[in-house]
Amino acid sequence: MKKVVALVVLAAFMVFAGTAIAATLNQKNTGCGLGSLIFADQNGLASQTFAVTTNGTFGNGTFGITSGTSNCDRPANFSSNQKLQDFVADNMDNVARDIARGNGEYLNTLAVLAAVPEGKRADFYSRLQANFSSIYTSDKVTHVDVLTNIETLVTYL
Amino acid sequence: MMNRKGMRPSGRRLIPFFFILFLILFAPARPVYAQTAAYVDGLVERARGMSLANDPYWHTLLHFRQGLAGFHSLVEDPNFFLSPAGKLDPAAEMDATLRAFFQPSEDEAQHPVCRFVARFTWLKERLAIDASKLPVPECRRFNDIVKEIQPETVSLIFPAAHINSPASMFGHTLLTVDTVHKSRLLAYAINYTAVTTETFGPLFAVKGLFGFYPGYFSMMPYYQKLQEYSDIEQRDIWEYRLNFTRDEITRLLMHAYEMDHIYADYYFFDENCSYILFFLLDAARPTLRLTEQCRPWVIPLDTIRVAQQNGLVVGTAYRPSRATRIRHIASLLSQEDRLTARSLALGEAPPERVLGLDATAQQKILMTDLAGEYLQYRYARRDFTNDAFNERFLKILGTRSRLGAAEKDDYDHPSPTRPDEGHQSNRFSIGTGIRENDSFAEMTLRPAYHSLMDNDRGYVEGSQIIFTGLGFRYYFESERLKLQNVDLIDIISISPRDDFFKPVSWKVRTGLGQKLGEDGAEHLVYDLSTGAGFAWKIPMLGLFYVFGEAEADLGGRSEERWAVGAGGSAGMIRTLGDQMKVHLSGRDIYYGLGDCHNALELSFQANFAYKTNGSVSAGVTWKKAYSIHDTEGIISWNLYF
Repeated sequence: MKKVVALVVLAAFMVFAGTAIAATLNQKNTGCGLGSLIFADQNGLASQTFAVTTNGTFGNGTFGITSGTSNCDRPANFSSNQKLQDFVADNMDNVARDIARGNGEYLNTLAVLAAVPEGKRADFYSRLQANFSSIYTSDKVTHVDVLTNIETLVTYL
Repeated sequence: MMNRKGMRPSGRRLIPFFFILFLILFAPARPVYAQTAAYVDGLVERARGMSLANDPYWHTLLHFRQGLAGFHSLVEDPNFFLSPAGKLDPAAEMDATLRAFFQPSEDEAQHPVCRFVARFTWLKERLAIDASKLPVPECRRFNDIVKEIQPETVSLIFPAAHINSPASMFGHTLLTVDTVHKSRLLAYAINYTAVTTETFGPLFAVKGLFGFYPGYFSMMPYYQKLQEYSDIEQRDIWEYRLNFTRDEITRLLMHAYEMDHIYADYYFFDENCSYILFFLLDAARPTLRLTEQCRPWVIPLDTIRVAQQNGLVVGTAYRPSRATRIRHIASLLSQEDRLTARSLALGEAPPERVLGLDATAQQKILMTDLAGEYLQYRYARRDFTNDAFNERFLKILGTRSRLGAAEKDDYDHPSPTRPDEGHQSNRFSIGTGIRENDSFAEMTLRPAYHSLMDNDRGYVEGSQIIFTGLGFRYYFESERLKLQNVDLIDIISISPRDDFFKPVSWKVRTGLGQKLGEDGAEHLVYDLSTGAGFAWKIPMLGLFYVFGEAEADLGGRSEERWAVGAGGSAGMIRTLGDQMKVHLSGRDIYYGLGDCHNALELSFQANFAYKTNGSVSAGVTWKKAYSIHDTEGIISWNLYF
């Protein structure tokens, strides 16, 4: 009986520490495609910390915009628009969601960065929504593909 | 201090002498250098004459705090100081800084004029420094950065508590600098965090309390922080727009630039994210002095209140987490449609099936949107592989794109009570009651933060976070003053399970409390207990929970003076309107080790919040231990401050 009680107690105390450790074991998967989470190795427990190596506040030339795109290909036509590339690469899932819905903050930001004129925004949104499957042609699509496909759809970019 | 003051006059008297000597010796050969040296000496002299080293703004820029032993800077990094004595001596640092501005330049970006651009800008203005005499007349790199950012406004960002994660329970604060770009996502987030690779929770917490980790500033696009808080940790975010002008924001950025790659020891409870961020705001507006208004125990939420009391906040915005969005969309659908959406997200049904359902277009939109959000939520929890997620996600979104635009542009999320509008975090209670046949008066103080019975406006329902609490009782009949309880940690997280979320509720407590002993009297016992369980929201009845629990006790008057046991608890919490809350609970622990006994407790508690920072509570508790019964009733008045 005593052993059983001791085991139960021990097990209960381990639950607390155990969940904390388990949460940290889910790691990695950053890249340029869908399903990339920048903070994939961030666990809730360590929210006051920033274990990911940072470049400090004013890190390198691009000032703070450090993203996963440094290892990725660059689309030919948007090559000058580094911010747009970074934004789409870093937010692949949410950008895709907003394009499918035809509205939202991520789609709006895409339009801002691509310098879509205010008067053409509504058209831009509905055109992307209607052509969702020609932008996201496969589940291996990268941010380069997405931007290239958008550009072929919309002439005013 | 005395010593330094005593030294100054003699030094001052000698300076003209050295100055003349200097001119005689070097003027013919190196006139420019000599002129500069004389100019620098003059500046140092003038700064001393103006007591600039005693100026509060200088103390802000160097993070000086006055203690019993004089000044010390909170910054540990030696690279932050130009004088070896700089950490403890504002005057020595001032002299060294002025001289350093005139040192020859090898790398402009690393020159003190650039490295300490906020100090430079302030001193240049106060002393009217002639820029033409400087090797580096301005920090071009910093100016380029400001041009690149084009700052417009600054906001204080508060990601609210995420109850299931101990370190985030008090919330967190960061700043965003908005650019002329009209998208909040592209704002620059300035964050101060402890840097560590420690992943073992308990060690992390202990080390964090005692400043074992270095704290650094970092800057990144706000969308990265949103991904972390909204999409992964499921924390709702509150944004408080501050009324800083463009000049003030430039000063803020200057100080942030100075703090780049500079570390200070990070303490979770005082020198934490929220406190250190205030140095940036103080640097932005010299008249503010927010850091001086902080209590020794800095809870992020309290710093929001300090910002508000100083009239800085001009607007607020609410940004629901993904989990909150899922709950909201689900609330707009019937149970059947909810389960359909869930089955799409889990891959149990093909998304295209929605198109053929007998439902309105708007319902179909809600179902696919819910399915997409829920899939993203589960993916962030690593419940699916990347390939499975991508395939299913694109199918759901493909279906969604065929349904056209929604009736409303975006979901209109009802915004809950803002955290700063809830009760304050310190609580003082005074009460009176009767235990068996002895009446008593009780006084308790709880510095942080929220208990289960407190009003939930602005807080997470079903949560309790208590760090330190102290209670005394005076029994009138027996004329005895008793230490009733010393709570060290008492955390309860009761999170309800539903079709979409299956959280585990948990609790942990340690401290001293009065417990019924074998002799029929109460004795002070140290206890450590924890538990895990489930909770559900039952319509009409409220929040129902069950816990499996374990407890270890030490002390008392029993034979062994220790006991370890296991058992369980259950209860129901019901909120009635905005102000009233009742809680019925029972707990039974069988102690099988040490002093073997069974302890059963039944209790009924009620709390009425007559205003935000005041409430009246009442409770009746019946206890049975070692076959001895004990009943008590108490009524208290609680004041939050």
